[in-house]
Amino acid sequence: MSGSEIVFYLFAALAVGSAIVTVTRQNPVVAAVWLVASFVAVAVSYVLLSATFLAVLQILVYAGAMMVLFVFVIMVLDVDEEGDAESRRPMRGSRFGYSLVLLLAGGMVVWVFVATLSKQFITPGARIDPAADFGSADAVGRLLFTDYLFAFEAVSLLLLAAVIGAVVVARSRREREKEAAAGGMQPEHMEAAGLSHPEQIVPGPFAQTDFGAPSAGGHQGGN
Amino acid sequence: MVPITHFLYLASALFVIGMLGVLLRRNVLIVLMSIELMLNGANIALVAFSRFHANLDGQVMAMFTIAVAAAEAAVGLAIVVSIFRSRTGTDIDDLSMLRD
Repeated sequence: MSGSEIVFYLFAALAVGSAIVTVTRQNPVVAAVWLVASFVAVAVSYVLLSATFLAVLQILVYAGAMMVLFVFVIMVLDVDEEGDAESRRPMRGSRFGYSLVLLLAGGMVVWVFVATLSKQFITPGARIDPAADFGSADAVGRLLFTDYLFAFEAVSLLLLAAVIGAVVVARSRREREKEAAAGGMQPEHMEAAGLSHPEQIVPGPFAQTDFGAPSAGGHQGGN
Repeated sequence: MVPITHFLYLASALFVIGMLGVLLRRNVLIVLMSIELMLNGANIALVAFSRFHANLDGQVMAMFTIAVAAAEAAVGLAIVVSIFRSRTGTDIDDLSMLRD
């Protein structure tokens, strides 16, 4: 067993194991931390596939940016640790739906096994040795900015649209009401859109986020 | 050298775990994380085929998948925040306002 094989099986087991833990946790914060472990293990298997640039990207975007986003949203939402009644009703849908899901999952695993073992669709022996700079930022970037230039620009437009969409969707009701009033929207139109006019709102505390009661011992400070 | 089939087993295992999470869990945050797991499984398959055919196109595709996954997570989490503000909950079975 060579070194790369040992590393692969070790980190493949880590990826699958932490993925299982992610899906089975009650507390979403704990699940997010295990998801980071799974992403890092997947990045290691990218390195073994000589996709070094993609491995760096995986760590930066998935384990870095996306997980920070997840954890921030969980903190803002202040989800209670009990996972809102999930423990009482662990399964969604009927017994039939549950068995259908298991059948789908099992069928997919069996299908992959049959496809790989029959060697009809892939030929594991026919391996082409890649060039020396295979998977480097240089080679991938060259391909990205020549053959895939249009797709690259389209994806950048998609990201811009997603950022704007996220800001628009996540605005609070009060912000939308203020904007509608400032934009000269008629009160009856605002009512039809499910908004109330700002002047009709009784002034009071408008806390958007409930940070919960302080912990019993308080913050002790120090490290 | 690890054969390509073992990379495909890893990819399908991650995909199936993510699929089970999407279909069986009720917490919408865990469902979003499971979608990321499924995308990761697909990415491993793309990169594995890319390596064993010595063709970089698969890696570029995986890069686009990562970008689209980032966009999807941003919009999905914004929707979660907006729903949580109006309905106070992350249980997807309670989210049926488009149906009724």
